[in-house]
Amino acid sequence: MIEAAAAPLAAFFAALSSRLGGDAEPLGEDAIARLVEQARAGDAGARRTLYTQYVDRVFRTVRGMLRSDADAEDVTQDALLTVLASLHRYTPRADARFAAWVTTIAVNTVRRRFRRRRPELTATGELPDVPDGPLDPEGDLDRARQRRALLVALGELTERERAIVSLRYGADLNASEIAASLGIEAAATRKILERARTRLGARIEALLGPDGGTS
Amino acid sequence: MNDEALSNAWTALEPAGDQRRRIDVRVSAWLEARDTPLAAEWLEIFRVAPVPALGHVTVSAIAIAAAPPLVWFASALI
Repeated sequence: MIEAAAAPLAAFFAALSSRLGGDAEPLGEDAIARLVEQARAGDAGARRTLYTQYVDRVFRTVRGMLRSDADAEDVTQDALLTVLASLHRYTPRADARFAAWVTTIAVNTVRRRFRRRRPELTATGELPDVPDGPLDPEGDLDRARQRRALLVALGELTERERAIVSLRYGADLNASEIAASLGIEAAATRKILERARTRLGARIEALLGPDGGTS
Repeated sequence: MNDEALSNAWTALEPAGDQRRRIDVRVSAWLEARDTPLAAEWLEIFRVAPVPALGHVTVSAIAIAAAPPLVWFASALI
């Protein structure tokens, strides 16, 4: 009964998702540059493709910095709207990818939004509010365990360390791009990244190990 | 853990289906509004609620027509 009632809703969301492009294959920098040009010229399809290219990346990046999924949702939405509304201000440069520009906007959105309320991860992290239908229960469980372990490990890093590792592994930026995005020295970024990566990796392995990180 | 393993771990932070849909809906609504010309918005209002829309247009037209004489009258008083 409930499933029958939910079917039209599921169909609506599937149609919406396909309209927005669903999960997009990552495009190369040249293709992105062309899309940006088309979007600037008013092509709505190009704007939608740009959105689908970056929505998951922005979310996982800011989720690593913030304390809840709800905050990450709001910041992702605001950041992408800012990106789409500010395309005319983007200046392509050989040494800076479009992804770095998008990520800088996301970082600034996090800062602006939480200037008064410092973003802090809880010690235990959080799981999604409403899980998806269990198409692959074992896979979902594994993913939930990994997610929880990562959030716990992130919660033990400093705010700056969290931002740096999130930009490195969530947004796939290199040390120079991270430094430019956060406004700190590249050498300092590399140093902090190396230290945070070691701590984070060891902690996640301990949490996912047989004793669940209790030792 | 190496770089690749950590990058893979980060994919676990991607939005769940319902979270992604909420973001899609909000951004889609914004794009829709941005892509819709003003005239089309008005036509849609007339289609959905013809009587209130006609009322709005009438009041707006009266306000625009009445503004210059009122301004003239007010400036004459001053």
